[in-house]
Amino acid sequence: MNTRVKFVILGVLLCVALGAAIFAAITTVQAIQQFRQQHQLTTSGDVSTIRPWMTIHYIALTYHVPENYLYQSLHITNPQQVRHATLRVLADRANQPVDDVIHEVQKAILTYRKQNPQTGMPIHTGQLNGAPRAPGRENP
Amino acid sequence: MSIFLPIVLNWLLAYGYPVIWFAIFIASAGFPIPSALVLLAAGAFAQAGDFNIFLLAVLALSASVCGDSTGYFIGRRWGTKVIDWLETSKWNRFISPRAIERGRARFKKQAAWAVFLTRFLFPALGGVVNLIAGADPYPYRYFLPCDISGEILSAVIPLSLGYAFGASWEAVGDVLGSFSIFALALLAATFLTLYLIRTARRSRVEKLDTMKEPAIVQFKKTGTMPPDNPAQRSGELPLS
Repeated sequence: MNTRVKFVILGVLLCVALGAAIFAAITTVQAIQQFRQQHQLTTSGDVSTIRPWMTIHYIALTYHVPENYLYQSLHITNPQQVRHATLRVLADRANQPVDDVIHEVQKAILTYRKQNPQTGMPIHTGQLNGAPRAPGRENP
Repeated sequence: MSIFLPIVLNWLLAYGYPVIWFAIFIASAGFPIPSALVLLAAGAFAQAGDFNIFLLAVLALSASVCGDSTGYFIGRRWGTKVIDWLETSKWNRFISPRAIERGRARFKKQAAWAVFLTRFLFPALGGVVNLIAGADPYPYRYFLPCDISGEILSAVIPLSLGYAFGASWEAVGDVLGSFSIFALALLAATFLTLYLIRTARRSRVEKLDTMKEPAIVQFKKTGTMPPDNPAQRSGELPLS
């Protein structure tokens, strides 16, 4: 291969690699910022961080709400059968969109916090389902 | 995000440890399941008490080593034939046999690093590297230690991050994914820069050699006479 052509090809490839590196660096910084925001919201108990992969057991532990209370609010009569079911699975079983189930859980948690302010978690209105969610997140 | 992830997560919670093992195994063998995200999620569920984090680490390590070894032996069984075919076939016009030979020699030199780094830093390339390592063939007794040491990191990092950050594991996954792409692009840029510098140096040396070559040798090589250079003249008698 002609040396000049080789230089041109290598130069173009180097520019592409550098461009990709810069783009990926910016994306990484943005991802770190989003992670910090998301983690802050989760630790503060913001209900907008409830996700379709969460189980009722997981939500109860993370948002400090009694598990049975959540089952009752979702009208689930046999909790043992759905203890390991994600919200997505619960929604599929109820033939409901998963966002509706998340919305019900969010409402239930907020209602519980209003009724029991001594639980330690702030009564975060956050953003209920339907409104914009935590930054950068989409339902998996 | 992979379309398989929600399905794997549902199965993970429904059937527990066997699903983790199987998912990591087929991901390591080359199936497009994001094993790091599965482990992050498993770590988050372990934090909630659904799984034992140490058992998860052992299962993830064994599954990934088995999956990698499967990929390696698939490469060894069929990949060698493919490479031999590429080298000899007249149908292959895209990659020259010399380029394949050079690639094989380079892979032999860097195989240990390639195997180690693709376990945790560039996991997307892990399946391909297993196949190439088997096809080359890179000795299994060297492949296995590099694989195990890399896979220890690939199991421990996402599991511990998932365990530490719980519900934010998806955001952690985004950070790991973008960092992996960044590292890969940076590595490619570094390699290309070094290659460019080496090519420039080689080209300069060749040019100097050409200048030093006697005119008749250059004429035989290129078919053209070099320009007249007084510095290279010798034995000229002064005209009186």
